Amino acid sequence: MSLLEMKNVYKTYGDLNALDDVSINIEAGEWVAIMGPSGSGKSTAMNIIGCMDKPTSGQVLLDGQDISKLSRRELTEIRRDKIGLIFQQFHLISYLTAVENVMVAQYYHSLPDEAEAMEALERVGLADRAKHLPSQLSGGEQQRVCVARALINHPEIILADEPTGNLDEKNERIVLDLFRQLHAEGTTLVVVTHDAEVGATAQRVITLEYGKVTSEDGDISFGKGSSAIK
Amino acid sequence: MTGKTSKQAMYLRMITASVARRKSRMLIALLAVVVGATILSGLVTIYYDIPRQMGMEFRNYGANMILVPADSTQGGMTRESIDEAASHIRSDELVGVSPYHYENLTINATPMVAAGTDLEAVRATSPYWYVEGAWPSKPGEVLVGLQEAETFSLKVGDKVTITYTVTGDDGRDAIEENPVEFTVSGLLDTGGSEEKYFFISQEDMESLTGKELTYNVAELSIQANAERLQEIADDISSSVPTVSPQVVKRLTTSESTVLTKLQALVLLVTIVVLALTMICVATTMTAVVTERRKEIGLRKALGASDRSIMMEFMGEGLLQGAIGGLFGAGLGFAFAQLVSTNVFNSSITFRPILVPITVLAALLVTGLACTIPVRNATNVDPALVLKGE
Amino acid sequence: MFFRMIRGMLTRQTGKMAMIAFTIALGASLATAMLAVMFDVSDKVNQELKTYGSNITVVPKESSVISDLYEVDGQADITKAYLREDELGKIKTIFWTFNIVDFAPMLDARMTVNGTEAPVVGSWFNHHLDLPTGEQLDAGITSMRSWWEIVDGRWLDEAKSGDDQRVMLGHNLAEKLGVGAGDTISIKGSASSGSYEVAGVFDAGGDEDDQLFAPLDLVQELSDTDGKLSSIEVSALTTPDDETSRQAAKDPSKLTIAQYETWYCTAYASSICYQIQEVITDSVASPVRQVADAEGAILDKTELLMVLITILALLGSALGISNLVTASVMERGQEIGLLKAIGATDRAISGLVLTEIVCVAIVGGIVGFGVGLGFAQIIGQTVFGSSIALKPMVVPLVVVLVIAVTLLGSISAIRTALRLDPVEVLHDR
Repeated sequence: MSLLEMKNVYKTYGDLNALDDVSINIEAGEWVAIMGPSGSGKSTAMNIIGCMDKPTSGQVLLDGQDISKLSRRELTEIRRDKIGLIFQQFHLISYLTAVENVMVAQYYHSLPDEAEAMEALERVGLADRAKHLPSQLSGGEQQRVCVARALINHPEIILADEPTGNLDEKNERIVLDLFRQLHAEGTTLVVVTHDAEVGATAQRVITLEYGKVTSEDGDISFGKGSSAIK
Repeated sequence: MTGKTSKQAMYLRMITASVARRKSRMLIALLAVVVGATILSGLVTIYYDIPRQMGMEFRNYGANMILVPADSTQGGMTRESIDEAASHIRSDELVGVSPYHYENLTINATPMVAAGTDLEAVRATSPYWYVEGAWPSKPGEVLVGLQEAETFSLKVGDKVTITYTVTGDDGRDAIEENPVEFTVSGLLDTGGSEEKYFFISQEDMESLTGKELTYNVAELSIQANAERLQEIADDISSSVPTVSPQVVKRLTTSESTVLTKLQALVLLVTIVVLALTMICVATTMTAVVTERRKEIGLRKALGASDRSIMMEFMGEGLLQGAIGGLFGAGLGFAFAQLVSTNVFNSSITFRPILVPITVLAALLVTGLACTIPVRNATNVDPALVLKGE
Repeated sequence: MFFRMIRGMLTRQTGKMAMIAFTIALGASLATAMLAVMFDVSDKVNQELKTYGSNITVVPKESSVISDLYEVDGQADITKAYLREDELGKIKTIFWTFNIVDFAPMLDARMTVNGTEAPVVGSWFNHHLDLPTGEQLDAGITSMRSWWEIVDGRWLDEAKSGDDQRVMLGHNLAEKLGVGAGDTISIKGSASSGSYEVAGVFDAGGDEDDQLFAPLDLVQELSDTDGKLSSIEVSALTTPDDETSRQAAKDPSKLTIAQYETWYCTAYASSICYQIQEVITDSVASPVRQVADAEGAILDKTELLMVLITILALLGSALGISNLVTASVMERGQEIGLLKAIGATDRAISGLVLTEIVCVAIVGGIVGFGVGLGFAQIIGQTVFGSSIALKPMVVPLVVVLVIAVTLLGSISAIRTALRLDPVEVLHDR
């Protein structure tokens, strides 16, 4: 059984079909990139996978549980327990230190544990920056804090929305290396991006255009992926 | 539990971090609460103190109770009976007691009336007496009413011989005359009947008449409302049979009318100011919380339930409310004290009960002010908030 | 473009703008209400203090010298001086005529009542006056002896037919005579005598409890003192006398013209007395210090109290407004950063934000001013039963306060926002 299964999902905003009969399967331990140009519906797909939005019709199964009909409250619980989120704009709480930002995720999930949060920061190479406020960290460091925050509760899926969009090349590599490590440890990764290079690091690329899946490539080469975007 | 932090500890850590590290915003919110709390505690303190403080000012109208002999055929009251009557009045209520002994005397065979009294006490009971020159301070000095001064053509510093005529038992035949020279120390201007008399000290009156003084009337200035005055009067008349107390209705009735109005004025002003200030506090709190919509969205994305977000923001708001309320209670008392010393030249009584009331009110207002924007923010889809404006 | 941006802000961010306008309106209404009440409070309290009775007495010149000299009865003293009744109306023609709120002529006499000698006072009760100025006034002791308690019967009412032949008795006198309301008593004066009905018995808590009060005309007829008065009691709204005004009153001719005008045109008790003396022939008007001084003290205190409360309220509303304005400008840090990033100068940004806020402040201020006047009227009506007169001073004060506070609040916040690095602001704070 797949970890995540989207079956004939539609999402409609007024007249616009943001998602038009989308079906996707993601297996446990997979590293999937969802790509597409702006307005292709990839953000909508990400919101639905991240339990922040519900489809207009169709089924979404996470761990075999249908989440498409759940209430906002139940979605919040699922999101808390099974999903780790990484955003393009990092979104750290400005007045909390790096370690405290990680602990916030623990706090909502179960129990805050400073030692464990420190371990997570160590993993992303930020142990020495733990007591710094977000404003004192570089963009790459902030995003690494977000990675630490995303993995702290051992989620079933880590969902990243343009995780390298605001980063320079060096930091991009650091973050992608982290993803590679996580993948090697068996974490399921879903990365939404329009950056071919980032997409290429994934095992599998799903391309969306005008709300439809236009290609689902198991093992794309660099060149092929990049031409698909154009 | 190595390194494990309890949920409560993390909760506190988040709230205190927010209060401590978001300084400028926190300061704004806190300032708003402090201002509101200051106004609340200050005005309420003043409101409660108005009757006492203003009541003191109304004592400028002079005596509001007079004692006269219960039976005028038995002669005047003794000093002892006046003191006994005065002992029925609490010392913090009693502003002054001035006994008067009136005597018919002559100056160059022209009759006039002089009063022997405790001149120190008169200054307390009749603060409106305006003396040109000086009050008598040594023996042999006399204060002359303006009308009498004109009649006898007296000026400040003039010498005048006042004669007491000792009469026989039938009160008709002059047996002996006792002239004493006095210096006019001042002229008394009141615009009232006092201007028709001479005033000398009790000691001078005693040496002039050669008798122990009994008093025709005693004026009492008491800081109390009409009911309390009546109570005192009833108390005195039942326990001191030689004197008959009378409440000066003209003063007591008018005083309660005016004081009631004044207190109503301060009450209304307090209500209007408070209502407006509290709304101001609420809007500021609302503005500060609204600014944090994005953060609320993030917390939701991280899996926070609406309830826990509500709790965190309320906790923060309430913390500000408590701190601001405490500060405000202190500052408000300081303000009331300032008003009291400047306006009434007296200090104000500290009312401990106002501290919890102020803090509670601050908590209530900040709590309410946070609820609405936080509820609005939690209703927002986290995805929309996180995507940016 | 500038106006387009402002229009966009004002019309599309209505929620935020409404909140700012609302807070400014609240602050402005608070300031307006408090200032309006503060400037009028002494007049209002002064009116209330009129319950203490007259604060000026007018007596004939000679009388002030020889009255009570030999403790003789009025009727026996042929040299007794009187004021003229026909000059009474002139009191309402003096410079401070509008400050004269009430007055009552008094004619003292001793008469024989039911065979007992008693002091009789002739006066106005609620005498209706139509003044040449068009003003109407019910003058007399009904309002100037507001503390009298009617223990039996009722007040004399001059508008009621037959009441010109009725009298009122102090309760001590009534007891002594053994009569009550409705009884008929005989009064014998120096000129004539007659029988009159007792309308009411009062308790004044003073000397007046031994006296008989009757309509002025009646006493004049009985004692053959037609058109004559012993004294006039005047109740006037006065400014508390200070040392200089007292000195001035002693000998106004010694003052320089400027000093004289200042003194004459201030409603001091002493200058009103002086003006009364000018219109009433051979009279001496003097302030009743017991009332005038206490009044002065209470007025001063009340005014000072209100000034301090007003200052507190103004501070409160100033902080409230500047606080919210600051908060709302801070909130727009990102927008300001963006404008800076696309090349706007600091001045251009400040101009834009300030113009917006001032537009909102004007709307809020006008609304607040109106609401504040409403609050002031509520206070006036509830407490004093009369409306608060708006002093022109209030308008500029409120305008200056609102504008200054709004600008100060926003300028400090804009400066903070401008200091920030646009990149930092745009990324994330």
